[in-house]
Amino acid sequence: MPKKLPKRSVVIVGGGLCAALISRELTAKNIDVLVLERGGDHINGAEAKLPSQRDELRWAVHQGLMQNWQRETYTLRHSRADESLPVRWMEAFLPGNGVGGAASHWNGQTWRWAEYDMTLRTRYESRYGKAAIPTDMPLQDWGTTYNELEPYHDLFEKLFGLSGKAGNIKGVIQPGGNPFEAPRRDEYPQKPLEITEAGIMFKEAAQGLGFHPFPQPAANSSGNYTNPDGQKLGQCQYCGHCERFICEAHAKATPDELLYPMLRTRRSFEIRTHAHVLHVDYDRHAKRAIGVRYLDLNSGQEYEQPAGIVILAGFTMTNTRLLLLGGIGEPYDAMTRRGVVGKNFCYQTTSGVNMFFKDRWINPFLAAGSTGTLIDEFNNDNFDHSGLSFLGGASITSSVTNGRPIRRHSTPPGTPRWGTAWKKATAAWYAHSFSVGAQGSCYPHRENFLDLDPDYTDAYGLPLLRMTFDFRENEVRMSDWVTRKVGEICKAMSPDLIGAIKGYSGAFDTRDYQTSHITGGTIMGAEPHTSVVSPHLQHWDAENLFVVGASVYPHNSGYNPTGPLAALALRLGNDVLRYIERPRQL
Amino acid sequence: MTEQENGNPRRTFLIQVAKAAGAGSLAAVVANETVAAPAPSIEQPSASPAPYESLSPDEASFVEALVNVMCPADEHSPNGVDCGLATYIDRQLAGPYGKGAGRYQRGPFRSGKPELGLQLPLTPEEFCKAGIAAADAACVEGRGKAFAALTPAEADAFIKTTILEDHVKSDGISLAQWFNEVVYPLFVEACFADPMYGGNRNAVFWRMIGYPGLPATHTLDMTRYRGKPYPGAKNPKSIADFT
Repeated sequence: MPKKLPKRSVVIVGGGLCAALISRELTAKNIDVLVLERGGDHINGAEAKLPSQRDELRWAVHQGLMQNWQRETYTLRHSRADESLPVRWMEAFLPGNGVGGAASHWNGQTWRWAEYDMTLRTRYESRYGKAAIPTDMPLQDWGTTYNELEPYHDLFEKLFGLSGKAGNIKGVIQPGGNPFEAPRRDEYPQKPLEITEAGIMFKEAAQGLGFHPFPQPAANSSGNYTNPDGQKLGQCQYCGHCERFICEAHAKATPDELLYPMLRTRRSFEIRTHAHVLHVDYDRHAKRAIGVRYLDLNSGQEYEQPAGIVILAGFTMTNTRLLLLGGIGEPYDAMTRRGVVGKNFCYQTTSGVNMFFKDRWINPFLAAGSTGTLIDEFNNDNFDHSGLSFLGGASITSSVTNGRPIRRHSTPPGTPRWGTAWKKATAAWYAHSFSVGAQGSCYPHRENFLDLDPDYTDAYGLPLLRMTFDFRENEVRMSDWVTRKVGEICKAMSPDLIGAIKGYSGAFDTRDYQTSHITGGTIMGAEPHTSVVSPHLQHWDAENLFVVGASVYPHNSGYNPTGPLAALALRLGNDVLRYIERPRQL
Repeated sequence: MTEQENGNPRRTFLIQVAKAAGAGSLAAVVANETVAAPAPSIEQPSASPAPYESLSPDEASFVEALVNVMCPADEHSPNGVDCGLATYIDRQLAGPYGKGAGRYQRGPFRSGKPELGLQLPLTPEEFCKAGIAAADAACVEGRGKAFAALTPAEADAFIKTTILEDHVKSDGISLAQWFNEVVYPLFVEACFADPMYGGNRNAVFWRMIGYPGLPATHTLDMTRYRGKPYPGAKNPKSIADFT
């Protein structure tokens, strides 16, 4: 029998970035907040100390910080005609486990999306006509605008001490920055990270072709930094152990570095670790969330936690799954296109081209998670799609982020996979190669969605979430086109050898890491029949239930998702304060 | 202004590194002497090898033959066994990875598209051993002798044809899948994981490619060695050198 606990004002599911940012706003006004996090603390673990932090096998290959697939995984089928199977070991994307969530082990690449991203449907229709958007692509505007989010982007960037170079300050294009950047009120809080050798080569080639390369905006701290809350970051060590790792140098901005230590000093804040939320209790007649049920993983005791307000701030997949398990909102039906929960599940379309330079020292181990140099010319709708057979695009980057040798020892095409010739090639090219990557958009498709699996369950006996997903024609064409552009830039660098120039092809493969940027499932929008949550992230069918995270994005762009996600979370903090003042549909 | 040792993250970090580097320098010297010694010959295996924790004698012969084919002694490194590759694989099979830690192992079990990953009810250790038995049986059947008895050229050809072209599906095991999804990743990890796991002995593979290992505090190196050879790459340091 679950034990019933005293009611709390605000209960947040998932102790990651969103929960921390919301809690910062609420507890500043002394609002009672309880965060439930299924994992523990990383801050004093082997993952956060030298020398054990520098262990590629333990943290990167064996996924020491990630969701335990043994307890909970996802099932997949590429189409409704297939039978779904559980992904027994996921490589494609990596949800975190523990305080800080996926924002503990991230690379720190931080974008504001395009100014038009939140009104993408309107943008495409007004530029190319209504017929330009295929009928099987349910793009929709987000119900909010970049301008509404700008102040929150600004706050987040200052809290996280971002290192970068502005490209557009209040509409004035800045040399050295991204000319496609949405207008921002200020320069980045810190100067950019040091450029890599690969970045210098990419920059030269891209400029020669008339493009505008710029440094990746980074949450890896280029200097010592104190944020507006008085929290500190050290200087980046360029150790090449960012993504999949905890930064022991306190130089990567994360919620467990900058937010949770401060929150824990606030009286109205509590976080319970090893508290795995199983269910959101919902009163369908009153149209209210009542609270949540969670399992204390330390004791095995189940608890019922009543709440005045429930906020779902888990990973993309978790938010969708909890709504489906709780029977909250109408599940999406791909046949009839009715329903909303699980709709517009998107990923990203990635590709890359390897290059080999016998006389250039790339030294890939001199890098950080965000030491990329990029161009944004071929992303989203930053270029004219007239006459092209697709929508969307990709950011293009000289992506040297690490030289960890198990996963990074590329060899030229045709090299044998073992033996003396293999050793000779790895020895010859390890320090002399890098790739240029494309992180591409993935727009929604009516046949890509999430629902509950009919057969497979997690360690607690609950149905797993099922992905019905594949890269559809639009994404395959986009990837092919953008990867040719990548090839042109690569050839301009005159490598001695070059790998295949080939966009994403074949079925979605769970065995290869692509990005952890999955979106959708609980999308936001202006209309209840096409969205799960309102523009203020309030559930249409329960006014005291809010959902935040990349699960609310109606589409995915060729950008890392953290920037808008953080802005939405900070704004939600303010919206919840308004709701507490006067409960209503905001 | 005086900085408190625990009040400045960067400074605390640098002190940690200095301590670690100090503690590690002696071990690093010892490691260098070891690797400078001539590679041990086949007849005289490396001094007092630790007993295998998972592999049976027959399985060990197979794995030792395999890693010596995939990593022959040459100008780049000693042979696979002397690089610790068989030791690494054995320890991984005996440890959490081999037992299926972190893998979803609930049924029902069905086969499916390769993109969805391995779907077997076996743990990685069980699957690895089942594959060894199947591959060896196929070798005896097709070539008249055990895999360990093949010449290096024969063994190489056996991997490329019989195994990778998946001619044999013994007991339902796909040997290509076995090789690509279990054996090959273990081989690569054995070469490039930190030497403390038993492979990459004396950081021989890190030295081969020029990966400097720890402590990887490269703030100054970023500009000093940008586009230039990195001196530390000649003398890589392992976690064990700092412990």
